[in-house]
Amino acid sequence: MKWSKQEFLSRAGLGHDTLQAWIEEEWLIPDNSSAEISFSDIDIARARLIRDLQLDFGVNEAGVGVILNLLDQLYGLRRTMMELRRAARTTSE
Amino acid sequence: MKDPYEILGVARTASADDLQKAYRKLAKKLHPDLNPGNAEAEEKFKEIAGAYDLVGDAEKRKRFDSGEIDASGAERPRQNYYRDYAASEQEHPYADNSGFADFMESDDSFAELLRRSARAQANSRGHDLEFRLPIEFIESIAGANKRLTLPDGGTLDVTIPPGIVEGQVLRLRGKGAPGSGKGGFGDALIEVEIRPDRSFTRQGDDIYLEMPVSLTEAVLGARIKVPTPTGTVTMAVPKGSNTGTILRLRGKGAPNHAGGHGDQFVTLKVMLPKAPDPELEAFVAGWESGKAYNPRGEAAS
Repeated sequence: MKWSKQEFLSRAGLGHDTLQAWIEEEWLIPDNSSAEISFSDIDIARARLIRDLQLDFGVNEAGVGVILNLLDQLYGLRRTMMELRRAARTTSE
Repeated sequence: MKDPYEILGVARTASADDLQKAYRKLAKKLHPDLNPGNAEAEEKFKEIAGAYDLVGDAEKRKRFDSGEIDASGAERPRQNYYRDYAASEQEHPYADNSGFADFMESDDSFAELLRRSARAQANSRGHDLEFRLPIEFIESIAGANKRLTLPDGGTLDVTIPPGIVEGQVLRLRGKGAPGSGKGGFGDALIEVEIRPDRSFTRQGDDIYLEMPVSLTEAVLGARIKVPTPTGTVTMAVPKGSNTGTILRLRGKGAPNHAGGHGDQFVTLKVMLPKAPDPELEAFVAGWESGKAYNPRGEAAS
């Protein structure tokens, strides 16, 4: 699902300036390939996570960057583990 | 529905500050995105989030404490968490494989599996673009620099390595479509199409060529000029050569993987003069051993 900037802001509960700052920090990487910037479901979920980290957990800006970086590595490892599990299953069949 | 104070582990008299502290402490531990493999954490997180929604808001807390509203329906509606996307097989710009880059560089089968899966989940790399590039036979043997005009008007410089074969695909890294997010450009894949040549043909690393020679050159021998894809060379036609005689030009074929070259084989074709020649006719008429020779053998008539 693709969302326009307006739809994204209302779904993620963000203001325009916050969004700009997050994109500059590369916390969010929306799709820039066409003339109109667009957002996907994962961008919304990630924005909600960042908001949780900042508002609910009191994580400061530096902390958010560190957490996102570690989380992305963690999810990368999980994806790879799933790939490996599938590869192992295919091989044993 | 459990009591929200109990869920958060605080007394009913707890201050708003204490409530927030208790909630944050639990949420940090249980947030589903920070516990990607733990289904129980998600259930518990929903519980504490629902509880905090209720008693973390001063207005709602007052109404709850006075019995005006109860805890039912306080659970947050199920939202999609980041973890539902981040670990999915779909490509996304946040994927990060650096956590095992060191494993991937080693040379065992595990590393190979990792590399394969890393490729499978490539970070939204741009698509590869495929092109066909027709080249001349001689260019396929000797190599060439070609410029390809792209559909969008751009150009692509392609270096044809010597000895390329029909259908071989050249990969130009990063010359494909742009990627998104951290993904880079795709590659340009250029399939080479070799136009047939009027005189040269190729089999493996060897090149074949048919070469006309005159009767005089065939009978008496000669040095003749022969074209090769890399230039003209002089070749000795031995005395008594015939149509079908195959001569080898060593090392004048296509370059091979071993670093050497194939050979060029030249098949001779003896040509009589175009116009009837009275002198030749007179000679052949008086040439007794020529009359005795039957090139079709005994059975032919």
